[in-house]
Amino acid sequence: MEEALVQVRGVEKVFRSGSIEVPALRGIDLEINAGEFMAIAGPSGSGKTTLLNLMGALDVPTAGRVEVIGRDLSQLSRHQRADLRLRELGFVFQAYNLVPVLTAIENVEFVLELQGMDRRQRQARAQQTLDELGLGELAQRRPGAMSGGQQQRVAVARAVASRPRLVLADEPTANLDSDNAQALLGMMRRLRDEEGVSFVFSTHDPLVVSYASRVVSLRDGHIVSDERKEADG
Amino acid sequence: MMGLSWRMAWRSLGRSRRRTALSILGVSVGCAIAVFALAFMRGGRELRVRAISESGFGHARIAPVGWAQSRRDELRLQSWQQVLARARAVDGVAVVAPHARTPGLLAFGTRAVGVQLLGVDARAEPQINRLVRALVAGRYLNPGEEGVVVVGKALVERLDVELGDALLLTLARADGELEYAMLEIVGIVDTGSREIDHSICHVALAEMEKLTGLAGAGEISLVFAQASTIEEKVAELAALVGEGNEVLSWRQVLPAMGGDAAGDQAFTNLFIAIVVAVVVLGVTSAQLTAMLERRREFAVLMALGMKGGQLLRLVLLEAGLLGLMGAVVGLGLAAYPVYYTATSGIDFSSLMKGDIAIFGVFFDPVIYADMGAWMVFYALALSCFSTLVAALYPAFSVLRTDPGSALSLREM
Repeated sequence: MEEALVQVRGVEKVFRSGSIEVPALRGIDLEINAGEFMAIAGPSGSGKTTLLNLMGALDVPTAGRVEVIGRDLSQLSRHQRADLRLRELGFVFQAYNLVPVLTAIENVEFVLELQGMDRRQRQARAQQTLDELGLGELAQRRPGAMSGGQQQRVAVARAVASRPRLVLADEPTANLDSDNAQALLGMMRRLRDEEGVSFVFSTHDPLVVSYASRVVSLRDGHIVSDERKEADG
Repeated sequence: MMGLSWRMAWRSLGRSRRRTALSILGVSVGCAIAVFALAFMRGGRELRVRAISESGFGHARIAPVGWAQSRRDELRLQSWQQVLARARAVDGVAVVAPHARTPGLLAFGTRAVGVQLLGVDARAEPQINRLVRALVAGRYLNPGEEGVVVVGKALVERLDVELGDALLLTLARADGELEYAMLEIVGIVDTGSREIDHSICHVALAEMEKLTGLAGAGEISLVFAQASTIEEKVAELAALVGEGNEVLSWRQVLPAMGGDAAGDQAFTNLFIAIVVAVVVLGVTSAQLTAMLERRREFAVLMALGMKGGQLLRLVLLEAGLLGLMGAVVGLGLAAYPVYYTATSGIDFSSLMKGDIAIFGVFFDPVIYADMGAWMVFYALALSCFSTLVAALYPAFSVLRTDPGSALSLREM
């Protein structure tokens, strides 16, 4: 039986602004298993980011239950959710969001330092991760001295350096040209295949959808389809 | 090697160099003003204590119990010679000088002046009373000498006398009878202050005992090797002076002067507090702007698993580094003014209009700032405290950042 990394059961999320209520998710049921390479697709406003926020323990549902790596988010404090993100999850953002004052290797090291890893160990791990992803030559560069594609690959290195179970990527290719986007997706799929890291993307990029082995489509806060396939890369 | 948090904090200061430079300038100017004000206040305080000490009052006084309240000159110490010997034996006591005081009338021909006669130990007095060193004619008293007096120049002018003239002293004895004595002027003192010169009328303690009919000393003035040990030595001596006697610090001997000192200290503290408050408000404003600009970055760090305490530490580290640089620059700004006033001093003689005596204390009109290693510690403490306090509000506003906004905000 496959291990469920994320279980979403009857989840609703409503955002309130004064007396106005905006439902973002309306009764979502979803299970994400280890080793998945999954895309959450849908138009803007369909609830992709909200769902990703919940799966990333960045938010809690208004109703329903979200379990991440076997832990019910509603039972966790803010501090415990931060710890869950730090130790079990990795994040890749659309706008890269590397720390601008740190070099590539320091950005990768940063999460490891937060985990309490000692300096020598974390430097070795960060360098190894960059080398494995073919980014060794960028180690001493700061984000401002890298292209968008390079920054996003370093962001992936930062996300996977701590060996998370699941990486959540929010529109990871949105700011990349197709060559860089393909290189990035290829790298992430290799990490899935070789390291067993699971990936979930929110996207409306057909290229990402084409790489995904499972595509969940959202519209107006509902899942409208959930297709499993083999990615053709 | 610095940890990543340190590196992040350090490099973050370089993101907006103009803002950082202005913040450092604000902190350093405030720091320099505070250091200079305190250096000057400390110098003034030191001068005050030295002036009091060298005007014959000492750092402290052994007095009969009840003198502090009544100020009666006829009170005498219990077993004063034993007390004197014990005080001399205390480590850190540099000078021990017994005194006795009584009011009297000095007359020459048809001219008469009321004075306060001071009975002194001729050996000890020159060590505690710098007025003795202001002799302009004749000499000071010799030990065991009787029938002679040292007077101030103002008295000499008032009585129209000169060295070698004999003055008629009239005073009331303890039993109420009048006592008369002829005293030859052997020395004339000119301190430059008419108030002080008018009050100088020194005779030997033994002669004072005979004239008043009161045995012994009415007080023992003490000077300590280190002025910083006054409170400690007063407490130590209190256990040695025996029943009927007590030890008073200069603040108790000259309460008006002690009040002035406390007032000066309070004013300086208030002034520094105002400077710090202005600096804190300025840095808070700059820090808050910097933090708000980096809200996205903090959201990302929190999304990655950074906890509130770690984020708070990061922001405070930046503030601490800002304070450190502010302290260094502030010390640089304060160094020359403090050095100048510590070496050349500021001359207040024109403001004092020639009157440099207050409550019988002879003040040097030139005040020197106190320059020392304390400035480094003080500047560091003040700057870091200011910037850390200034960073608290921005730091707590950062803690309210929603990590979910890292995903919600799409554009850089």
